[in-house]
Amino acid sequence: MADLRIDLAGIKSPNPFWLASAPPTNSGYQVQRAFEAGWGGAVWKTLGEPILNVSSRFAAVSFNGQRVAGFNNIELITDRPLEVNLNEILETKKRFPNHAIIASLMVEPQQEKWHEIVKKVEAVGVDGLELNFGCPHGMAERGMGSASGQVPELVEKQTYWVKEVARTPVIVKLTPNITDITMTAEAAVRGGADAVSMINTINSLAGVDLDTWNTVPHVGGKGAHGGYCGPAVKPIALNMVAECARNPLVNVPISGIGGISNWRDAAEFLLMGATGVQVCTAAMHHGFSIVEDMIDGLNNYLDGKGIASVMDLVGQSVPRYSNWGDLDLNYNIVAQINNDVCINCNKCHIACEDTSHQCIDLYTESGRPMLKVREQDCVGCNLCAIVCPVDGAISMVERKSTIPPMTWNERQSLISNFIR
Amino acid sequence: MSDHLLSLDEMKQVDDYIASGFKVHSVRENLSGMFVEFKRQEEDVCLQILTAEARKYLAAKLLEQTLKQEETPI
Repeated sequence: MADLRIDLAGIKSPNPFWLASAPPTNSGYQVQRAFEAGWGGAVWKTLGEPILNVSSRFAAVSFNGQRVAGFNNIELITDRPLEVNLNEILETKKRFPNHAIIASLMVEPQQEKWHEIVKKVEAVGVDGLELNFGCPHGMAERGMGSASGQVPELVEKQTYWVKEVARTPVIVKLTPNITDITMTAEAAVRGGADAVSMINTINSLAGVDLDTWNTVPHVGGKGAHGGYCGPAVKPIALNMVAECARNPLVNVPISGIGGISNWRDAAEFLLMGATGVQVCTAAMHHGFSIVEDMIDGLNNYLDGKGIASVMDLVGQSVPRYSNWGDLDLNYNIVAQINNDVCINCNKCHIACEDTSHQCIDLYTESGRPMLKVREQDCVGCNLCAIVCPVDGAISMVERKSTIPPMTWNERQSLISNFIR
Repeated sequence: MSDHLLSLDEMKQVDDYIASGFKVHSVRENLSGMFVEFKRQEEDVCLQILTAEARKYLAAKLLEQTLKQEETPI
């Protein structure tokens, strides 16, 4: 059994699986049930001046039978008074002293307001703070959430204000609704952040009802943009985590968030530099018990790899993430089709012929339809393997180049000596 | 002619020039591809390279030429 305990900037938890600040962590009842189910930590639904919500609030995008491929919400932060939440945090911490409880916070960008809430929240024994600079809807219109999180100076200043009084580790949660998340991550670090977490939700409109022409969701016939999360956003989140992890100026631990639905997703985030992960949509879709499979799966994976501690997984793939200009232009792969496995659906041929490089030929052999890749014309785009419905029918194999490795940056540097 | 055959043809032209004593003197890239000026004493020729594979190949040849020049004692 591998050691699944993590230490994220001094916040310790029995495993890397935390519930993200969201509806699943709205109350002590929920967080305590989550801890009983096995979650290692919970980021309490964002505390601040109690808000008013609308109905309806959630919408999901299904894709080809996959329910909740993406999830959209227009719910705001807690609508309960601070004292009610603090009492429940106190009670939950007493019952689960070894689990991590992090308080997500959002107030107006004023020093005294941050000081006030930090002192009150830390007094009940939270293990850390997460500053919500990411929520894209509702609160942003009031100058909070992503409205603050999109301005590096405001991220830095507010983080600094929090650090002036905080005694527990401070995590800064970043918005993805920005061109380059490393800019705000760097600002958080300059402000003194002990860690960063990402991503919050992405500005979204789930859909339009083609019968009523209402937005989805709508509130009495009107809609407003929400925040998108769930499996669909995972690649976006993973890239942002990786970009921060390889940035030397973002030299703090990362809590990874965004579409993490199972242990495999979690392991990918850990490999790309996250010290732990936060989950929301998958728990909302399937319930708290999904953490059991996450724990078992991650444990089995680590055991299978002979890795004693999950912390040893953190960041292992970061050195493999680079800039396009540093990739080898002369590395070649080509597609190979196993006609013993192929079901002759011809999807690879159609995809290649219509939308890629026209290098898969149809032919017959002893009356049997066959497919063959003209390797010399294959650019190794992977499209045929991607659209193929049969495992093992198409393999991408390396073809050793006859010329030495050379990146675009190396090439441009070399060529610059020959420009006259 | 397929891109592959065209690239083979272009790479062969590069090899032929080098084998006959030409050296790359200058390289210019623009919307029409790569224009390579080969020189051999007072003689020079210009080769337009269209294909991506041959442009990669030419870069490898530039590297070879550069390394050889660095090895040549002054």
